[in-house]
Parts: sequence; structure tokens; C-alpha cells
Amino acid sequence: MNQFNIHRAYSIARKEVMHILRDPFTLALALGLPVMLVTFFGYAIDYEVKNIKLAVLDRDNGPAARRLKEIFPASGYFHLVDIAPGSGPVAMLDSGRASAALFIEPGFSRKIKGGGAVEAQFVLDGSDNSKAAALIGYLPGIRRAAQVRLTGSPAREPSSFAPALLPGASKKRGSAKLLFPPNNPAGPRQYYPAGAAPSAESEADPFSAETRFLYNPELNSRWFTIPGLAAIIIGLLAILLTALTVAREWENGSMELLLSTPVRPLEIMAGKLAPYGILVLAGVFFVYFVARLVFGVPFAGSHVLYLAACLLYITAALSQGLVISVITRQQQVAMQLGMITGLLPSMLLSGFIFPVESMPEFFQYLTMLLPPRWFMAAARGIILKGADLGELAVPFLALGLLSAGMLALALKKFKTDLE
Amino acid sequence: MNAGPALEVKGLSIKFGGFTAVDDVSFSVNRGEIFGFLGANGAGKTTTIRMLAGLLAPASGSARVGGLGFEDGGQGIKKIVGYMSQKFTLYNDMTVGENLDFAAGLRKLDPAYAAKRRKELFKLIAFNKPLSSMVASLPGGIKQELALAAAMLHDPEIVFLDEPTSGVAPASRARFWELIRKITGLGKTVIVTTHYMDEAENCGRIALMRTGRLIALGSPEELKKSAFPGPMTELDFKGAVDEAFLKEIKGAPGLLELSPHGMRWHAAFKDKGSMEAALTALPAGAAAEPIKPSLEDVFIRLVEGRER
Repeated sequence: MNQFNIHRAYSIARKEVMHILRDPFTLALALGLPVMLVTFFGYAIDYEVKNIKLAVLDRDNGPAARRLKEIFPASGYFHLVDIAPGSGPVAMLDSGRASAALFIEPGFSRKIKGGGAVEAQFVLDGSDNSKAAALIGYLPGIRRAAQVRLTGSPAREPSSFAPALLPGASKKRGSAKLLFPPNNPAGPRQYYPAGAAPSAESEADPFSAETRFLYNPELNSRWFTIPGLAAIIIGLLAILLTALTVAREWENGSMELLLSTPVRPLEIMAGKLAPYGILVLAGVFFVYFVARLVFGVPFAGSHVLYLAACLLYITAALSQGLVISVITRQQQVAMQLGMITGLLPSMLLSGFIFPVESMPEFFQYLTMLLPPRWFMAAARGIILKGADLGELAVPFLALGLLSAGMLALALKKFKTDLE
Repeated sequence: MNAGPALEVKGLSIKFGGFTAVDDVSFSVNRGEIFGFLGANGAGKTTTIRMLAGLLAPASGSARVGGLGFEDGGQGIKKIVGYMSQKFTLYNDMTVGENLDFAAGLRKLDPAYAAKRRKELFKLIAFNKPLSSMVASLPGGIKQELALAAAMLHDPEIVFLDEPTSGVAPASRARFWELIRKITGLGKTVIVTTHYMDEAENCGRIALMRTGRLIALGSPEELKKSAFPGPMTELDFKGAVDEAFLKEIKGAPGLLELSPHGMRWHAAFKDKGSMEAALTALPAGAAAEPIKPSLEDVFIRLVEGRER
């Protein structure tokens, strides 16, 4: 008599399916959210910066300077803009007519011919830092290309750029000027304040860094974001939908009907969660197929392992929604709480967009308590790197523990609430 | 089915944290009775019947429902009783048939049996709309009757109805009480709570509750007799109230109760002699009509009288 009865759980699940099919909000959310997110992140949002307007001040006018100028548009990322009469490159940046400027000093071509080290200064608008960061990322490639084009040999270090970030809006050029030498072995992420840039001696460094990206050689941003979308969809859909389901029964009074029958809390819970679990899983499948078929995202690892990660995270998210529903008992409050606790952690603290490693230490520890962070790590590891369970032991263990903990909390809350 | 009383409650208390919702209540209900709980909101009526329907466990005291106790957490009780809560418990976004199928599924009823019961109950409540009607489209009274049918699908011995007629049109209320009488005619026991005094007259016995305590128990007639052993009269001043006379009658020996009822006043006395003595000073133009006390008078005397 005290056993879990599958027929009663099935009755609850069937009723829940009717609610889903007849509630336009639930249906629209469940079907619309995955489509909307995939469209946004697949088409509208692109981390690759292209068509950067580059103003060139060529004081050399020699053949080498011309070749250098041609390299930029040839990269596909830049196009050259003419410096307006009576204006300078910096004025072009100030007014937003250019995002970057290249200064080639007199004697550039002559020095190259003589086999000496040369410099060209690259100034960029730092007021949009994500754009500036992307730009800086292109420089090593440009520099390599320049080396080959100007000298015909990749072995020597004949030229260098001294890029400077220029906050266009503040116009405090002098104090805000940051320089880095791209040929510094520490790589392009290290910046030096104006004047502190290593001098020309460093160009004689025998060591030079070459960067090659594994797993996503072209750094295709869609490969990176689309697999992560499953985390957002699970987080938001599972939490939001289940947050409403129990609160709705309380608000309508139908919970009393359930409680007056011999149905057990566990049966109610299972019956309520199963349809939403399936609905959320359908959203994950949708994202998977769009990622594979439309965006050509590779799937390097095990599908079974990926499904396991999804199921663990779905369990955690459904349980979280249930806890919210039991605590609030009101659809309005439950929805707000579900929205905040479902969307924000999976969007901002999971590493979906902002890498966990670059967060302040406190937040790095905080993210350890969030299932989306571990799911994101596992999903990207499986999809892009083809990692196996041994390599993903930490994310899986953490995800498993958090899911189990959340499920236990939901069960306890739900039971004590009903009894 | 055993032959004992439908309900047997002794020294029952229910606590929510530090708040005592039901305080040392004892009574018993016979099979086939219509037993009513009458009281203001918060008097403990709903808590009492939720417990008796197996939804809450008693904190102390004992309760046997249809001969069963709470040893199994109320599971056994839930199988032999039907409970209809104050709030409307059917799903508006489902059809009549889907709602009843759901209720049958929760109780694991055999589909053939559930269909048979459904036909019987539809006949009882004279429901003649198609099974595919959406519940949301039905009038309030019919919804309530359907909720009753859903609560009785498993043919319970005892039916608990918590404020079944609140928010229902008067004509539907009368119809619903007709239904309750039919159900007891089938040998069922019906426990009902209400705060409508006129409805309480339909009960075989009434338990009057106030702040968690049972303050009176008996048939409507018994309650009236015990509250008002003497005669009662209705004073009608036919215009301006004579305050001087009211003051005088308030001090009259043998007055039990004087309470306003709209433009009129009900005065109850210990005996006929004291009433006649008090009414000698009745001002000209005013009338004093002998009346029978209503349950409302009983309620005012027994419940509100203690709060003054």
C-alpha cells in the first residue's frame, strides 16, 4: 500500500500533458524558446569582428609600405578607408570613421631593403573592448603574413607592430595609450603601459610564439556557443515550466483534490516532472540537430555520454523548479524566481559567454555550486574535444552530486509540504 | 462495512506551529446522518474535516473514520471517504470526461466500474451535457455538482463537503442540498461545513465551532431549545427606534438576548412571565410579534455572545 504506484503517476503525467497542450503560454515557451535562442546565437550574435575600417597614414610611400597596406584587406577582416582631407588617423578614430589606424614612418621600405628591423604603429579604438580584443587577436596572423610578404622568409623578425588601444570616447590618448609588442613571447594578451614597451632589443629574442588552436581551429564562434545553448534551454525551460506546475495546483485548489486521494507525493512529483523532462529533452534534440545540420558543428565525443550529461542536468533543473514551486505556491512569484534562477546562472555564470577562469575568485567558487557550469564543461568537452568520462570525471561527479542534492531537497520539501 | 458509528472523535487537537486550530474536540456521527459544522471563518471547521478526510494527522486525541485510524498516515481513510474542498477542485482546461477519468486514475478504479459509477452519478446530479464539454464553459452550480461527482466516483461511505455552496447562486444552493439529502438516502454519511445559517437547518445535527472549540452540538431544534428555553419576540418600531424603551428592556429581568436584525430587534426571555412584564412598556405604534428562534439567533447567542 505504501509503494510507488506507476498507474497513479501515469494519471498525473497524462493530465499534465493535457495542461501543456492546452496552455498557449507553456506550449509557446517550450517550442518557441529553443527556436528563438538558436536563431539569436546562430545568426544574430557573432563574436567574429569583420569589416574593420582601417585608416593608414603612410609617411613612407615606398614599395614595402604598399605591400604592408595590402595585407590588411587581404586578411578579410579589414578594409581601408581614406583619411579625410584636413583630418588625421587619430581624428578618424575620434569621429568613429575608422576603428583602427596604421602609422608607417618614413624610411620603412629603405630599412627593410637594408635588412634592418622595422616598426609600424597600429592604433585601435579601445572604447569597444570586445571589438578591440578581437582585433588584437588578428594581429599575430597579420604579422606573420607581413613577415613573409616583406622579406620572403618567416625565419627573421624584420618588422613589428606596436598597437595602442585608444579609448575613442574619453580622448585621453596620452595617458590611456597601451602598447604591446606582438613579437613578445608572452603573447598578445600582455599589455604594457605607454613607454614601458620592451625596446627593440626584444626583437632579437631567439624565441617566438606560434599559436595553433585545437578543437576549433578557426575559432568559429558558433561551434562554441551553439553546443552551450542546450544549457540555457534546459536551465530556463525546465526550471520555469516546473516552477509553475505545482504552484498552479495550489492556486487553483486542485492540490486538495490530489491530496484527498491515496496518491503519494512521490507519484505526484514523478508524474509532474516526466512530461516536462521529455519536453526539455525535445528542445535539446532540436538544438542538436540544428547545430549539426545547419551550422555544421562537429560532434567529436560520445552521444551516450552527452545524453547522460543532459539527463543529469535536466534532473537538477526540474528539481530546482519544483523547489521554487513548493516554496512560492504562487505562479507569479514562481515565474519570476524561475526566470532569474534559471536564466542568469546558465547565461552568465556557466561559462556560456564569459569564461569561468576570468571571473573574480569568489565567482569562480560560486559557479562550482551551479549545475549549468558543470554541464557546460561536460557538453563542450564531449562535443568539441571528444573527451571521455575519465577526462570529464570532475564535471560529471559535480553534476551528479548537485543533481542528487537538488532532487533530494525537492523531494523533502514536496513531501513535508503536502503532509 | 462495519456497524459502528461513521465518525468517532475524542479529545482531538490539531496544531500548526504554536497555533491551535482545533482544540480538544469530541463528537460522534452515525451512519446516514447529515452532520454540519457551523462557525465563522477560522473557527476550525475546515481543519477538522480535512483531518477527518485523512489530509492532516491529529496532534493529539483520537479519531476513527469508518472504523479506521491514522496508523497508516490516513491512506486507508482516503480510500473510504470522499472529500470536496472549498475551492473548486476540477481542472477548467479539461473536459468533464477527462476530469472524471483523472479522478478515477488517481484512485486506480477499473475503467468499466468508473464508467458505471459515472452514469449513476450523472443520473443523481441530473447532468445531461456531453462528456466532451470543457469544465470552464459550465455554470458554477453544475461545476460544483460535478466536483461532488468526482469526489464520489469511488463510492465512498462518508462524504466530506467543505463549504460546498459558497459562491453558488441561491437556486443552485437549494438544488445542492436536495442532492445531499439524496446521498444520505443511499446510506452515505455526509459531513458538511457552512457559514450559511439557513443551510444549517438542513442538517440532522450541527456542531457549532468557535476558535477551534466545539461549543454546542445537537439538532437544530435542540440547539434552539437549549439556547432559548423561553419565548422570543420580534420588536418592530415601525419607524424611529425608541431608544428609551430599548434601554429599559435591556435592563429588564429575565432578558436573555437582545439583538438587532435589520430594522427589527429580537428579544429572548427566560420565561413567558418576564417577557410580558418587559413588554408592558411597549410604546404605541410599535409591535411585538412572537417568533421562533432561528439558527442565526442561536449562533449569535452562543458564539458571538461569548465574544462580547
